[in-house]
Amino acid sequence: MNPLLLILLAPAAATLLLFFVGSENKRAVRTLATLAAATSLAAATWLFLGFHDAPVGASAGSHAYKHVLRLDWVPSLGLSFHLGVDGMGVAMVLLTAITLFTGTMVSYRVETRVKEYYINLLALVVGVFGVFMSLDLFFYYFFYELAVIPMFLLIGTWGSTTKTVDQRYATMKLVLVLSAGAALALVGLIATYVEAGRILGHGTFDMVLLEQASTQFSTAFQMTWFWPVFLGFAALVPMWPLHSWSPAGHAAAPAAVSMLHAGVLMKLGAFGIVRLALTWYPEAAHAYLPWVGVLCCFNILYGGLVAVSQRDMKLVIGYSSSSHMGYVLLGIASLTALGLDGAVFLMFAHGVMTALAFSLIGFFYDQTHTRMLDDLGGMMKVMPFVGTCFVIASMASAGLPGFANFVSELMVILGAWQSTTIWGKVPAILAVWGLVVTGVYLLRTVKDAWFGELKPRWRGLRDAQTVTERTPFVLLVAVLLFFGFWPRPMLEMIQHGTKPLMERIEATRPAGTQASVPAAPAAPGTGEAR
Amino acid sequence: MQLNLHLLLPEMLVLGAALAVIVTELLLPPGRRARATAFTAFAGLAAALGLLVSGWMDGTTGSAFLLVKDGVHVTGWSVDAFSTFTRALAATGGLLLVLLSVPYTRRMDRGHGEFYAVLLFALAGVMLVSGVGDLLSMFVCLELVTISSYVLAAFKRNDVRSTEAGLKYLVVGSVSSALLLMGIAFLFGATGTLSLQGLQVAVASGSPDSLLVLGATLLMVGILFKVGAVPFHVWIPDVYEGAPSPVTAFLSTASKSAGLVLLMRLAQVVLVPATGKPEAAWLWLLVVLSGLTLLLGLLGAMRQQHMKRLLGYSSIGHAGYLLAAIAATSAAGARPEQGITAILFYLAAFFFTNLTAFAVVVLVGGSQSPAGVSPWAGLARRSPFLALAMVLALLSLAGVPPLSGFFGKFLVLHSVVAGASHQPLLWLVAGLGALGILISLYFYLVWIGEMWFKDPAPELVAQPIAVPASTRALLWVGMLAMLGMGVVMGPAYGWAQTAARALVGSAP
Repeated sequence: MNPLLLILLAPAAATLLLFFVGSENKRAVRTLATLAAATSLAAATWLFLGFHDAPVGASAGSHAYKHVLRLDWVPSLGLSFHLGVDGMGVAMVLLTAITLFTGTMVSYRVETRVKEYYINLLALVVGVFGVFMSLDLFFYYFFYELAVIPMFLLIGTWGSTTKTVDQRYATMKLVLVLSAGAALALVGLIATYVEAGRILGHGTFDMVLLEQASTQFSTAFQMTWFWPVFLGFAALVPMWPLHSWSPAGHAAAPAAVSMLHAGVLMKLGAFGIVRLALTWYPEAAHAYLPWVGVLCCFNILYGGLVAVSQRDMKLVIGYSSSSHMGYVLLGIASLTALGLDGAVFLMFAHGVMTALAFSLIGFFYDQTHTRMLDDLGGMMKVMPFVGTCFVIASMASAGLPGFANFVSELMVILGAWQSTTIWGKVPAILAVWGLVVTGVYLLRTVKDAWFGELKPRWRGLRDAQTVTERTPFVLLVAVLLFFGFWPRPMLEMIQHGTKPLMERIEATRPAGTQASVPAAPAAPGTGEAR
Repeated sequence: MQLNLHLLLPEMLVLGAALAVIVTELLLPPGRRARATAFTAFAGLAAALGLLVSGWMDGTTGSAFLLVKDGVHVTGWSVDAFSTFTRALAATGGLLLVLLSVPYTRRMDRGHGEFYAVLLFALAGVMLVSGVGDLLSMFVCLELVTISSYVLAAFKRNDVRSTEAGLKYLVVGSVSSALLLMGIAFLFGATGTLSLQGLQVAVASGSPDSLLVLGATLLMVGILFKVGAVPFHVWIPDVYEGAPSPVTAFLSTASKSAGLVLLMRLAQVVLVPATGKPEAAWLWLLVVLSGLTLLLGLLGAMRQQHMKRLLGYSSIGHAGYLLAAIAATSAAGARPEQGITAILFYLAAFFFTNLTAFAVVVLVGGSQSPAGVSPWAGLARRSPFLALAMVLALLSLAGVPPLSGFFGKFLVLHSVVAGASHQPLLWLVAGLGALGILISLYFYLVWIGEMWFKDPAPELVAQPIAVPASTRALLWVGMLAMLGMGVVMGPAYGWAQTAARALVGSAP
């Protein structure tokens, strides 16, 4: 069986089956959801390990897709159900599977409307998986929109209003921004479909064919349609100044939803930019992305400085996410091989890291019912295991060597240094300063929440003790450390997808703006040279 | 003169069922009337639908009657894939409407026969509209729908709101009928013919004539009244709110589709041959009106507190999307078939979706009770099944996958963007259409939040909502159709495309 189909169908089938489970039978609901998530995770691991040996199923130029499955859906429109992944897709699918599995286990603590909760959670993930593995533009959009509504119901029903964020407001804002981005991109996607149909002589949503046709897109066409597609997905990343929906959404959401939101959903935006905007409109990318590089500095520094002044821990991590996604965008905007590889790697590393952070915050929030730093303090004494994991997550986030985040952020900064835009090396230098800001708010958060005097009312807090409670945390920490010490497999995987794209980008690079350093021959070396 | 009246057998069955309903009511004691009349109406519509489906399978085409003089049609009634599709759609909608009306008619103490008979007359009118070959028969068919609707809207004679709705509808409808008739008269004056084919020949060959433009514009205004397009939309919210819920369901689906079917045909006759000529001013009109309809309808829906008014405003918005696709069919150089296919798919999706929504409205009630308690708050706790159906219906109306409304909107936007590469004016509509998706998502989500997040009012918690078997069946059909057409779009899209090709390919 095609592993992609298995990964997609396991949560989809569980979503449907859950309708037929009695809502009082919480145990059966949880078991079924966990089984589905475990199946997806196992299949994703299998996919990751066996990817390089798998035969090529379809290719656009040197860009090869594997595990391709194609069923004609509406032939007269050129619409087919078409799955397939390149290395970048594999990395994202693996990230989603990890986040889903850990998120499902973390959600055991949900006690109200359990059945509906898991139906929505799994439906959301079906959409996310679908985006990462679709090779048909229609279904790409279809799956993306599919993910939005469960998000609305999850945050609106199981989330919470706190001193800092109103739940209703945050929910609606999140859904509307996500949909606004989607609607904006949709017009661009259809316009591209129409233009490619003119070039090919028949309309098709096949992304492989669209990629081939895109080499013939005129410069004027690229310059026009880059913006709707780019901005539509950039709102999701979220790029400054379109970012304010994201931290608010985190703060209102339940733990597992925050994990999926920061871990996976935000990556859909960056993935869309690379997969669609960069692939189709490379000339426009050369013209416009230097400006985006400047906006990224706002992301990194502004997001970081706002995080410094937050007292709600979820908002700290929320703004830090938007700051870190600035690095991802910066890597993409650098238009160098090193920067792009680093960006995709950071998407993976940051996804795992935030999932860990949000799951830990969710763990103690269920007991304390407050996340305000002023109310907390000294919790390391009562929950040493959770506290240690949080310190590890903070260290990873701050970019300490030994974690995947360090490798990827270093690559992004080096890539930005190599790129020769009109801004010179300013973005790279500002990005390095961003690391300092990150250190400030993370160390302060760790100090205020976990160390110092233990408030008497927190004496009774319970640490994570059982295997089911500890498994998600351990798994996430292990992934961060594994790829931190041995980034090579992940980087080779990512390069399978980014290398053909870089060839295309280099071919369209305007004369006189060659990268100052030739693209690093073997980027994995960066990880080991450390 | 050709006569193949057996081709009109489905309509005759529906009209026959209407008479049978009246007889049934006379023969039975009051206690058994509700069920028997509904059953008779259902059987008649089911038989008609069966005939239409078998006719579709056989590929039956031809003319029920046709009168030709000097090589030009004088009048006629053509059966082709397009008319078979729209008639089958009307019959399907009729079946669902009968199922939907059952809980409503059960609560009535008298008038069951009248209700179903008038409903069937109106449906027969909707079915007849699709094949007409000349403007006068068109007018008669449309009036059959409209006059039946006046009666239906005012059906609750003792209810002030219903009577008011009926009166409003009567006044506005009469004006639109008058405009329609005036337009027909001008067109006859300009071209000397009433048949659609003759009109098409005259438009394509003749020089621009101010009388012709005036006549066509008036004709279009008359039809836009029926469709409920801006600026002829003001009657909709009031009438939708006041009329009995099953009648509102009829007005928002079948009645609206009659106008659209006519508009599609007339667009092929008048607009498409005239594009590129000075008469293309009609295209401008259509573009501006569709954009305004879409925007005003959806903006109006944002602040509604009453479910039926909300659905009324949202149906204006949906009419805007359909008009946008009609505008796209008329852009010079575009393939009209794309737009027509989009409209037919959208209409089919809208029928199932909107009727599902109204089936829930009939049971739950439109608005707050006098005490200010909303029956919709916390519906998910009171009746998970109804809430699920309503949430799916609203999401489908909002255009969210994997529901049929999404693919409908997608097809419309696709045809508009494809047309825009020939006629840049359409970019405006494409942009508004994308914005409209966002606005509609907002107000539908507000209501979904009401049903899903809130707790029900304390005095309503203990009141379960009884769902009769007929409504249960309708809701299952509706939900399966929404999901089925939204995930496996191929078959429905293929049928719509066949119908569209028949319309574009065949000069009437």
